[in-house]
Amino acid sequence: MSHSHKLVIKSSMSRPPPPPPTTNKDQQHQNPSLQEINIKLIQSGEKERLKELLRERLLECGWIDEMKALCRAFTRKKGRNNVTVDDLVHVISPKGRASVPNSMKAELLQRIRAFLASTAD
Amino acid sequence: MSSKINGHVSPQPCPHLLVFRSRNGPKPFRALQDCIRVKPPGGRAAIRREPTEVPRCGTCEESSRSRLYACVACAAVFCHAPLLHSHASDHSLSIPGHEIAVDVDRAELFCCACGDQVYDRDFDAAVVLAQTVNATATTSTSGSTAMQCSVAGSQPENLRKRRRVDYRPWEPDSGEHISRGNQSIPLLDATNASLVSSTQQPWGFRGLNNLGNTCFMNSILQALLHTPPLRNYFLGDRHNRYYCQQKNGAINGTKNSRLCLACDMDALFSAVFSGDRTPYSPAKFLYSWWQHAANLASYEQQDAHEFFISMLEGIHEKVEKDKRKSQSPGSGDCCIAHRVFSGILRSDVMCMVCGFTSTTYDPCVDISLDLEPNQGGSGKSSSAKSLNSFNFEADCMRPNQNCGISTLKGCLERFTRAEKLGSDQKLFCQKCQVRQESLKQMSIRKLPLVSCFHVKRFEHSSIRKMSRKVDRYLQFPFSLDMAPYLSSSILRSRFGNRIFPFDGDEQDASNDLSTEFELFAVVTHSGRLDAGHYVTYLRLSNQWYKCDDAWITQVNESIVRAAQGYMMFYVQKVLYYKESENQGTS
Repeated sequence: MSHSHKLVIKSSMSRPPPPPPTTNKDQQHQNPSLQEINIKLIQSGEKERLKELLRERLLECGWIDEMKALCRAFTRKKGRNNVTVDDLVHVISPKGRASVPNSMKAELLQRIRAFLASTAD
Repeated sequence: MSSKINGHVSPQPCPHLLVFRSRNGPKPFRALQDCIRVKPPGGRAAIRREPTEVPRCGTCEESSRSRLYACVACAAVFCHAPLLHSHASDHSLSIPGHEIAVDVDRAELFCCACGDQVYDRDFDAAVVLAQTVNATATTSTSGSTAMQCSVAGSQPENLRKRRRVDYRPWEPDSGEHISRGNQSIPLLDATNASLVSSTQQPWGFRGLNNLGNTCFMNSILQALLHTPPLRNYFLGDRHNRYYCQQKNGAINGTKNSRLCLACDMDALFSAVFSGDRTPYSPAKFLYSWWQHAANLASYEQQDAHEFFISMLEGIHEKVEKDKRKSQSPGSGDCCIAHRVFSGILRSDVMCMVCGFTSTTYDPCVDISLDLEPNQGGSGKSSSAKSLNSFNFEADCMRPNQNCGISTLKGCLERFTRAEKLGSDQKLFCQKCQVRQESLKQMSIRKLPLVSCFHVKRFEHSSIRKMSRKVDRYLQFPFSLDMAPYLSSSILRSRFGNRIFPFDGDEQDASNDLSTEFELFAVVTHSGRLDAGHYVTYLRLSNQWYKCDDAWITQVNESIVRAAQGYMMFYVQKVLYYKESENQGTS
């Protein structure tokens, strides 16, 4: 494959979401699917803003430092050259998810709800 | 095959990356670099073709996976969730040569076959360049002490080669012969039993009499008397008070030429290290300092930190105007005070609208740290708990637990954290030509020989229009590694996992010195803001001593750990002698 031209991202990246399954007006106000919410968040830029907020919160409460410490401890035990990113993700994901404070989850949920409400058709 | 850049080893490429590079020309990621998007300006880099596109996995159509990778060979996007399934791995296995992919949200290269991150210098350089909208820095508009910095990078003054001098054994010259004869006194040794105390204290310990609320001065003087580079300088006769006086007299032609604070320090060192253990009254020193800091000349209580700063300034002012020496404090060549205490702080201010970053450098002789804001009353009870057991670090690892224990490292982390300046603190952006909201981050460009940390223990309430003292306990380590607070580390954490192509000019000037420091003096304050008492703890060959005006006693290290630190003095580990040789203890 020649590499002299610009990287062409295949259509899988910019394909529009599938249309809602029914044309019934009532059913259009049903809870949107996770996919639809996600796309809305990304396209409006809200997902990036939420991610930044989340990063700030996790940093403030020491969660990031704790994850770093877990990674370091694991790497020290296994040896620096025997650890991959996938290993680390596998090891710290359950602990990471479990230790996110409930208040943070609640805050994010609230923001997402507010966003969806403000952009509802 | 890995090389060292700025002391860090750059990672070795995996075999798949090597094969990919060999097959795809000298710049295999050139096309990818055009897809780097940085949002918001100065923020994180991502891979996008269109600004609002939504990446999806080609196999399962999912866009909400946490890791999506675009194959660098064919640009197809796949998800990678090793715990469930990895369509990215499937893809790499199905087509040889398609192992290298890029994380679309983080702009980081990944080898799907190895399951690990890989690094390419050119690609990382392009990402870093995209993140720094304008790579050149500017000087600050305020103050003449800021240093200029540009990407091209000119070698700082203190890194230029110094001419080596041939070794010659020392012989006193005629002047030294005279001063030795007239002005010197023999060092008292063990045979002079009447003047030597029975408490086997190391050399150079002598109580300082309180001359009327002068504990602020005594506490700082005790710390300075045992600051290794300062002690070595004066005991090594590098500032001879007899010569200096004579020179001053000759130049000014006046009889009562003002003494210089360095001369007074020299006299103090001579007195304290003479072997005489009876408490010493630094009256002459106090008088000289009053002449320098006229506004502070009184018998009222003063602040030790203020005294420290004014003393260093005093030594600097009175330095002989040697035309060969530079007068800038940053290089440390101007006077012994700055040579020992002066470091360089770097301040990055980034406009949040356009991303333009302006960098300034300022010398500093100490770092004043804020204690963290009140943690809702949990402070007192947990600090009482902490004094009993010193294994609280393990407990503090839990993210949820509000353990309420402030640490020096925590203060330093906060000091070097990127801070959003409020909308009432907008700074002028040179690119936008208006005041904009900004992001400010401090870091240390050059470490001093001795780091002095000053804890801001006073709180001023503008509502109540009064100040009060913050007594909260601050935990401080005996050994401190300053590496995470250096500009190089801060930059690295800002840009993420990148190889830095222009590490050359971002080299910290103290590259050849280590970043490890040892605590040797702690100045503590007890009491109220307007009425209190200063005490200094000194550490010599792993023993701690309490200097309380005229009384010096040996204490257990646990006392020091529990003390309320106001100023902490750390010296570079290479200059600190843990195991002392013959200290001349009696």
